[in-house]
Parts: sequence; C-alpha cells; structure tokens
Amino acid sequence: MTPEPQTPDPAKRSNPAAKTPKAVKVLVRNLTKSFGSLLVLDNLNFVVYAGELLCLVGPTGCGKTTFLNCLTGFLPLTAGEILVDGQKASFKKGDLGFVFQESSTIPWLTVYDNVAFGLKIKKTPPEVIKERVERILTVVGLNPFKDLYPRELSASLDQRVALAREFATQPNLLLMDEPYGQLDIKLRYYLEDELRRIQEREGTTVAFVTHNIEEAVYLADRILVLTQKPATIKEEVIVTLPRPRRFDDPSFVAIRDQVTAAIQWW
Amino acid sequence: MKSSSRFYPLVLGGAALLAVLGLWLIISQMAGPKILPRPWSILEEIARLWRTPLSGRPLSGHIFFSLRRVLAAFGLAVLTGLPLGLALGWFPVFRKIVTPIFEIFRPIPPIAWIPIAILWLGVGEGSKIFICYVGAFIILVLNSLAGTLYVDRTLVNAARVFGANQKRLFLEVALPAALPAIFAGLQNGLSMAWMCVLAAELVGGREGVGFIIIQGMNMDRVDMIMAGMAVIGALGAIFAALLRVLEKTLCPYRKQLV
Repeated sequence: MTPEPQTPDPAKRSNPAAKTPKAVKVLVRNLTKSFGSLLVLDNLNFVVYAGELLCLVGPTGCGKTTFLNCLTGFLPLTAGEILVDGQKASFKKGDLGFVFQESSTIPWLTVYDNVAFGLKIKKTPPEVIKERVERILTVVGLNPFKDLYPRELSASLDQRVALAREFATQPNLLLMDEPYGQLDIKLRYYLEDELRRIQEREGTTVAFVTHNIEEAVYLADRILVLTQKPATIKEEVIVTLPRPRRFDDPSFVAIRDQVTAAIQWW
Repeated sequence: MKSSSRFYPLVLGGAALLAVLGLWLIISQMAGPKILPRPWSILEEIARLWRTPLSGRPLSGHIFFSLRRVLAAFGLAVLTGLPLGLALGWFPVFRKIVTPIFEIFRPIPPIAWIPIAILWLGVGEGSKIFICYVGAFIILVLNSLAGTLYVDRTLVNAARVFGANQKRLFLEVALPAALPAIFAGLQNGLSMAWMCVLAAELVGGREGVGFIIIQGMNMDRVDMIMAGMAVIGALGAIFAALLRVLEKTLCPYRKQLV
C-alpha cells in the first residue's frame, strides 16, 4: 500500500479549484500495463477528484482505452494499483458507468428498456426503475423516442441513449471512451453541453478519454496530456474558463494551443 | 406516385410469374403432356390423390406420415441441438472439447446415414426420423453456436460494467442477441428435415409424400411426381411462414428485416 519512496503521492500533485480541497475519487498509483513485451502504460500516477470532469488526451493508439479497461478491471494490471474510493477498482462492484466509443445500445430493447437495462441488471426495485428512467429520459430529451428501437435512431440519439442508461444507474464514476468520436461537429457540441449539464446536476465524477483537443478544453475541469505509447503523463492543464465556454475566446484558444503543443510528439 | 411505387414490385413479380407460366405452357405444348403436364393437370392430380387412396391412403394420410416424421425429428433436433449449440458458443472450454468430435460428423451429408440407419433401426419410422434428425440437428447446432459466439463484445462489456454475472450475461445479452441466428437455424433446419424426409421416403416406405413421388416415377406419371413436389413445396412454405410469424413475435425490433 505504501508508495515507492521515489514516487510522490499523486494526490498532492495538484489541487484544481484551489478554493476548497476536493475529495479524491480515483487514485492511480504506479499504474503499468504491458501486453507481453509491449509496454502500453508506463508508471502512471494521478488522481481524479470527486465531482470533476477529467479529460485524458493523447494521440490515437497511446493506450487511453487500455487505461479505461484497467480502471474497470476488465484487464489485469501489470503493476501498480487503481483505487476507487480507497478500494481496488472492479466492474464486479457494479458502481461504474461506461460509455463506449461504438454503439452499445441493446438492439432488441426499446429506448425506455435500454435506459432501464443497467438498473434491471442491478436488481433495482421496479418503482425506482420507473421513476429514474422517466426522470433521465426527460433530462436528455428522449421522451418522444422512448418506444423506438436503437436501429430506428440516428447515431447521436443512439449515443444519448447510452449516456442516459449510465446516468440512470447514478454511477459512482463514469468512464467515457471517445463517446462522440463518430459524430459530426454540431451534434458533438450539443452532446458535450448536455453531458456537462447532467454531470453538474448529478454531481457525477467523469473520466473522459478523447484525442480531440478542442473537445477536452471545452469539457474539462482538468486535462491530463498523455504521451505516445508507452503512455506517461506529460502535462496537467487546469481549465478554469467560465462556462459556457466559447471556442473563439482568446483564453480558450490559448489553452487549446498549450495542450496541442504538449501533445506533439513529432 | 407513392401507391404506384408500392405496387411496382407486385406488378414485376406478377409479370415474371405469368412469363414462367407461359413458358411452361409452351414447353408442355411442344414436348407433350406426358413429359411436362400442364399446370392445371397437376392441381387435378392433387385433387385425385386427395380422393383416391394410393397404397391404402389418400393424400392427407401421406401428408400426415411425412409431417409426423419431420416434426418429430425437428422437435428432437431443437431439444438437443439448440442447447448444445448455445453451450458451445458460450463456454470456451466446452467448445474446445466438443468441436473436434463435432467436426468429424459435421461434413457427412445426412443422406449418407440412410443405409446405416436402416440397418440399425429398420425400415420403419425410426430410421426415417433419425435421418431427418441428423440433418436438422447439425444446422441447429451450428447456427446457435455462431449466434452466441459472435455476440457483440461491447454489449457484453456494457452489461458487465453494470455488474452482471455469467447467468445474467447469458440470459440478458447472449441469448437475445443470438435469436436471429437461432431463427435462421430453425428455418434451415426445418428445410433440411423436409429434404431428408423425402430422401428417406424415396429409399424405403409405403407411405409419405416421398412415396407418392417415387410411385409416380415407377408408374411413369410426371403429373403425379409433380403433384408430390408441389405438396412438399407448399408444406415447406407454410412452416417457414409460421416460423417467420414466431420470429416477428419474439424479435419485434427486427420487424422490417424479417
């Protein structure tokens, strides 16, 4: 449990909102993951604070998805540890949410039943399921579509269903793996605003993985820039811009350029 | 414009059918009705077989025998092949153990089992049901195996993140995901059972639609052969339609696809 002497406690590395010290939600210590001789994650140390939206930005193929799969416990760690609320991270506890890059809505369930799916798996009482699903459908504006099947939806609606399904279970920690990568720019802005709105409203901690720098600056409270594989943390950028953020705001552009400079590996 | 485009395929299909019927009549005219009877003489022959017993049974009796064999074999194949295929798809260790054994039997055409089935089970119902069973069984196993094996991993992972155990994963994700493949297997398995019942009845037996066809050949009666073929075709189509209705009920989300 005690960290190696040469490794500083990652919880002390930074404290974003500075005003009030935030509780640590996720503690990543000396996280290393390799597949055979291929080293993908190289000794990562960082924290995710409770209630914050953390963006992990890095070049495509740098190991962002691998990191999320370690966090869920789908993949065993090669070394180090990931603690969520002080306990070893595992999907088996069932308090995580995950929005996948590709469509993950269940084709044979209606929008309503898709949103209820996670709650059903968790054996939530039916009256609670009804109340939560109806509330979240209203929040994300999916009510008019609740009886449709996913294949009758557009790609953006489909991804909203996946997001609503996760929020309905009120996850302790929501992981998002380039969820809007497949969508066109206009829809992406719309869904990013929506994510931010629900996240603030529900107080959910979100770890958002993306290779889109603008998206990260738009969404994040804090950005961690990862290097090319094997991934290490190259830079931490705290984003305190007021919301709603504007892409043409000079300070937005300045942060975007800072992250872009950090990400350049060529 | 809208209604005309809806009827367009109907018109095309109808025209094609009429063209085939016309061609049939022309060939029948040129070759003579003994080689190729006219379409309506086949209907007449079906009516005659319905009224006049052949080998002690009217057409309905022969249909009953073929139907019983097919449904008994198909039922057995569903009861055994479906669970086996699902288990093979879901349990990797089980799949590794059973696949080599299954692969030995898989490529043997069901009809190749006829002689051995007759030697083992006699010329009665047992051997005929066995042959149909072999045909349907293999198809059902392969389809339910493919259905559960190729379940979208993202859906499985999405359910796992919610804390689903193996049982819930199978019941809530793998099984419903495999349903379309299972239904494809049921359709193909049933056609295979019909194919095999004909083969079994052609080889031995004094009842069944296959027997009518072979009698037609022995009596040099093309109309009788084609009447038997038409009856088999109609029965197969009816059962395929019933399965489609069942699929539409169980997989409402595929309604525009089925």
